[in-house]
Amino acid sequence: MRIVSEYWREVCTGFSAAWAIARKDILIYYLKPNIIVSGMLFPLFMFLAFAVGRPADPATMVPGLIAITILFSSSSIEPVSIPLERRTKTFERLLSAPISLHMVVLGESMSGFLYACCIALVPLAAGMVLFKAPVSDLPALAAGIVLLSFCFATMGTLFAAYPTESPGDIMSMLNLVRLPLIFVSGVFVPIGEVPFPGQVIAYLSPLTYGNDLVQAGFGKATHFHPLLDIAALCIAIGAFQSLANRLYRTFNE
Amino acid sequence: MHAIEAISLEKRFGTIQALAGISFSVEEGETFGFLGPNGAGKTTTIRILTGTTEPTGGSGRIFGRDVVREKIPARREIGIVHETSNIYTDLSAWENLMFTARLYNVGKRERESRALDLLSVLGLTGRKDDKTKGFSKGMKRRLTIAMGLINKPHLLFLDEPTSGLDVQSNLIIRDVIQRLTREGVTIFLTTHNIEEANILCDRVAIINRGRIAAIDTPERLKKTIQSVQSIEVAFDLPGAVRAEDLAGIDQVTGVRKMGDKVRLITGDPPAVIEGVMDYARRANLRIISINTRGPSLEDVFIRLTGLDEKGGGGTP
Ligand SMILES: Nc1ncnc2c1ncn2[C@@H]1O[C@H](COP(=O)(O)OP(=O)(O)OP(=O)(O)O)[C@@H](O)[C@H]1O
Ligand SMILES: [Mg+2]
Repeated sequence: MRIVSEYWREVCTGFSAAWAIARKDILIYYLKPNIIVSGMLFPLFMFLAFAVGRPADPATMVPGLIAITILFSSSSIEPVSIPLERRTKTFERLLSAPISLHMVVLGESMSGFLYACCIALVPLAAGMVLFKAPVSDLPALAAGIVLLSFCFATMGTLFAAYPTESPGDIMSMLNLVRLPLIFVSGVFVPIGEVPFPGQVIAYLSPLTYGNDLVQAGFGKATHFHPLLDIAALCIAIGAFQSLANRLYRTFNE
Repeated sequence: MHAIEAISLEKRFGTIQALAGISFSVEEGETFGFLGPNGAGKTTTIRILTGTTEPTGGSGRIFGRDVVREKIPARREIGIVHETSNIYTDLSAWENLMFTARLYNVGKRERESRALDLLSVLGLTGRKDDKTKGFSKGMKRRLTIAMGLINKPHLLFLDEPTSGLDVQSNLIIRDVIQRLTREGVTIFLTTHNIEEANILCDRVAIINRGRIAAIDTPERLKKTIQSVQSIEVAFDLPGAVRAEDLAGIDQVTGVRKMGDKVRLITGDPPAVIEGVMDYARRANLRIISINTRGPSLEDVFIRLTGLDEKGGGGTP
């Protein structure tokens, strides 16, 4: 019994420390210009590049816009903040605090997660008001936004494990992964029309399942059952979290 | 129970052997100094003992808890002041303290009263709500120390707390360290500054190239090298003094010119004083002052780290 309560106490203090880390990132990084550029403007231009000159009804593109906005905004905080904190040695503070590395990873991801959830409201509102895109399955939409944000925020933290003091290094590695995902994950091109090797990647990409959920939220035809989407995203989050934990341990000489 | 116990700690970075198996223990309430040149392994030792990095050999304990296997409970007992003043320059002094307190799970009321206290002790009260971007080096250092103390640690690690600071910041920081000692806090501090170790520490370990050369109280370390006592003489015409003549005096083992004074190293100060008097009479010089000096911690340090073998210091 005592062991259980001791364990519980540890879990609670771990989460509150993780929240302290997220809070600190919110205070410091949300308004940094480079984060606004990569988190908000980048997805907008990405979208315009696809949408302009297409005959399709803009309303059909709203779910895809939401998905890529989340992809970019959620993974735009940690790849900047962590290398900068390595440079100023403040990251060493987190690594020497009385919390597990898992909680450090979680805390870092949380700020990206919340950022993406907020930013996703912009295309959502725009889609509903300007293009009259109807939301027909709110739980699926909410699950899509939340899980997708959390998944890519954790992926951002994972990439930031690479021991560099320069955000550019991590951003370029990240873009190497993020950009191709847009093309194969059914965001703009339906998965069925993606050529063969791309389809394999599509099934491995969390964006595929997140996008599928958001599509379901807007009552569009989907590729998988929503519960399968949710399961796939949860597995991806768990995998990124544990891989990130391992990498931070390895690289922290 | 020891506050710190290090047993054959070893750390390799690839081919670099940063620590070659060091062992020591620090008692509760003690102020323990780690004195060594750049690259000796001081920071590496702290990083291992705080569980930030794992040793490649040996083990460490903090209040009986293993620093690898019981890392988190061990860390709850300690405060850390890193070598670099790692504060968040986008946050105010207050926000920095609150963040650290939250990280250490210090309750709201306690963290606020403690932060006010620390800001006042460290002379930062007036700058509480200013962004720390504009803080001077000394202010940043003092804030870093406040952050290291916000969780009321029983053991404080200080990595070069006063390196490169002005007199005022230095005095404030030394004062805080002495106050903590009175409160029974165990302190582990690293420094290059011999005088600081001499003033603050109950015991000092001299570390060089990943090995401990000696551990003892500052006074006993000095006694181990009684042969390096010295006499400092100032003559009225410093320009006319010939070092060769002084070196020729019986029992003198070394001569160092220090500004307008000359330092004669010897194991037998009374005999050398006689010799210096004779020399002054013969050379028609007047002695303005003459002092005997015991061995300094610096002499011990130079001797033990082998710096004198590299031809430094001008000893013939
Ligand atoms: N992360 C690391 N990777 C590789 N080598 C390292 C690392 N950290 C320390 N070293 C090496 O280990 C040795 C000891 O370094 P350490 O930082 O402990 O010295 P120090 O006594 O703190 O020196 P200083 O007075 O300059 O702070 C040095 O040779 C250093 O180059
Ligand atoms: Mg150091």
